[in-house]
Amino acid sequence: MRNLARVLAFDVAAPLVAVAALLGIGMVLAWPLWWVSVCSMLCLLIVEGMLVNFVLYRRDSVTVGTDDDGPGLRLAVVGLATLALAVAVVVGYIRWTVPDRDFTRDSAEVVRIATAVSEATATFTPADPNSSIDRAASFMAPERADAYKIEFGKATADLAKRNVSAQAQTISAGLEALGPSAASVAVIMRSTQSQPGQSPNTAVLALRVGLSKQSGQWQVLDVAPINSR
Amino acid sequence: MPEPDQTRSDPSATRANVFSGYGIASAVLAVVGVLAIALGALIWSNHRDAAHERDYQSRVLAAAAEWTGVLINMNVDNVDASLQKLQDGTVGDLNSDFDASIKPYREVVKTLQARTTGQIESVSVETVHHDLDTVAGQRPPAPATLPAALAERTDTVLVVATSVSENAGSKPTTVRWNLRLGVSDVDGTLMISRLESLR
Repeated sequence: MRNLARVLAFDVAAPLVAVAALLGIGMVLAWPLWWVSVCSMLCLLIVEGMLVNFVLYRRDSVTVGTDDDGPGLRLAVVGLATLALAVAVVVGYIRWTVPDRDFTRDSAEVVRIATAVSEATATFTPADPNSSIDRAASFMAPERADAYKIEFGKATADLAKRNVSAQAQTISAGLEALGPSAASVAVIMRSTQSQPGQSPNTAVLALRVGLSKQSGQWQVLDVAPINSR
Repeated sequence: MPEPDQTRSDPSATRANVFSGYGIASAVLAVVGVLAIALGALIWSNHRDAAHERDYQSRVLAAAAEWTGVLINMNVDNVDASLQKLQDGTVGDLNSDFDASIKPYREVVKTLQARTTGQIESVSVETVHHDLDTVAGQRPPAPATLPAALAERTDTVLVVATSVSENAGSKPTTVRWNLRLGVSDVDGTLMISRLESLR
């Protein structure tokens, strides 16, 4: 009974677990050519070991698992199987868990930035014309922020002269696409423009905000109307 | 004086033989291996759920885009066939009150009496929504989702589209659509359960 347990554990389960772990690593890595090669080689070695073990059992009626004179070899077998499992877990964590977690975190982050920058670009107060421009620019990449300030500086001067104020509030926002270093968010806002002596003008704006991840931080690259026609 | 029985086994010595240093190390590694298997199964399960969720959201976006494509490309020539197709793709209150819900869109088509070509500009899964028309102190309306018995889940999709209607001898008319659709999973089939125009 004791020998049967040792055969099942050391001669059968341990090598099978090692092979399963190697196949698992391949699955996580999506089978690149180099791993196909490495995995084939290692699996072949394991199968060879199992065959030699079986041949020795037929000859000497003793296996790696039941050999009382070879506890070190048994430990090595279990150690290698455990090592293969540990590597599979680490590779799975790095290649699956971390990107999945990043995706969830980035989804919320890019939408938060996109709504903030969209509201800032469509908001204007004549008393403080630069506040919303500075706020919008704070979310942008430095080169884009400079271009944005120059672009909108002229328009805000005209709006300030006419005493026009604008307020924008996000109605809805959604994620169009998200990759490890780029994202696109759709933001639908209600914008209200008012001018002294005239009734407020309300419009629905649909904006697409393009973002890029630079040095671990999401930065706005572009804010443009979605309706191109 | 009789000699002590040398053949009697010492229980503590037997235990020491069974649990040698190598044996204990192997057992510890085996426990680590079992924990690694459990952790690996958890990682795989979570990743499978995440991948399934992303795949599901892609299907939701495709279903919303397909349905909206029919809506924004309705012409006088195909209005009845299009409306039938649209109704077939709906479920819940939108399906039962389809005529009332779709009336404004039907009116647009009939009024324009033109050849309309629509183009979807953006489709996204809504993650932020503010009900700006809620009066202060008033509770915002509950989201119109289908009962759990009817649909497993309902996702909200934002669709921005443009359609251009061309009439011989007159200027083309551009209609901008900012739609908020509810997409429900009804027995594995994705159907539109809510249609709202954002204003």
